[in-house]
Amino acid sequence: MNPEALIAAAAVLCFGIVISGVAFGSAVGDGIVASKAVESIARQPEARPNIFLFMFLGVGVLEAVPFIAIALSFYILLVVAKVPQIITSLVK
Amino acid sequence: MQEHIGEHILWHLPVLGAVHADTITTTWLVMVIALIFFGWIGASYRSPYVSKRQTVLEAVFNYIADLVTSVLGEGGEPFVPFFVALFIFIFLLNQFGMLPFKALGLPFGGSPTADLNTVVPLALVVFCMIQAVAFRKKGLAYFGHVLKPFPALLPVNVLDEILRPVTLAARLFFNIFVGELLFIIVTSIILARISIGFFNLSLGVAVVPILIQFFNFFVGTIQAFVFTLLAIVYLSLALADDH
Repeated sequence: MNPEALIAAAAVLCFGIVISGVAFGSAVGDGIVASKAVESIARQPEARPNIFLFMFLGVGVLEAVPFIAIALSFYILLVVAKVPQIITSLVK
Repeated sequence: MQEHIGEHILWHLPVLGAVHADTITTTWLVMVIALIFFGWIGASYRSPYVSKRQTVLEAVFNYIADLVTSVLGEGGEPFVPFFVALFIFIFLLNQFGMLPFKALGLPFGGSPTADLNTVVPLALVVFCMIQAVAFRKKGLAYFGHVLKPFPALLPVNVLDEILRPVTLAARLFFNIFVGELLFIIVTSIILARISIGFFNLSLGVAVVPILIQFFNFFVGTIQAFVFTLLAIVYLSLALADDH
């Protein structure tokens, strides 16, 4: 089996797993933050600016690790495994 | 394609070696524009009438000033200009990447916060400021806070202190960098002219950049605000009397 094809396949699979994990995790986390914010605004509407502030603070702090994971998975796909070059060289 | 990601045009200076030219020139331009703009706004303070530009700036300033005094208490007033400057500087640096200068091949363009050389010094400035202010207020007893619950937690507390500027820098850098990275990916898809069956993926993807621009504007604002707010919270934790 062509070792380059194996590396390319492993890198693409890794990219898919990481991106799906990131999307799922950050969607669930942001959903929890937003739902709690909406609930507490419904309980006390005059605190809306404060709650809005803390909702965006929570989202900003939460989204740090997903973005790090996205950037590192692109790094693995493009720099470590150089998948586009491998695929174009295999297709020729 | 990977030679375009994270690659910057270099100048070779005599003492400092190779530096990223586009980051430096863009930061200089943003600093000059910000100084001229805020000097123009400050000129309206000479007349006793309140002008519109004055109220806009005061809205931003008062928002952050209220934030600082609500977290730090009355002793937080001297720090308000630092945090306002930090917020406005990071906001302008983040949003500068929306202007289409990067593709021209000049030593100019892109967002300077997408370069680690801008972000790590900002985080280090915040970290050193917090340590210096807490040391000035509490003396050498401040450094005993790593032993506070009980001394066996020393490695955990030191790691926590060290990791705060690290996550601050990583959060800002990766948010802005992924925004630019998405443009490079979308450009390479459009250039490769891919068609899946009858669906022309390259055409379908051509509407995506404007949505990415909206998202980048939003993310740039949020990350500037989160950086400033976390700096305020870390300062309040360092200055707290009970720990």
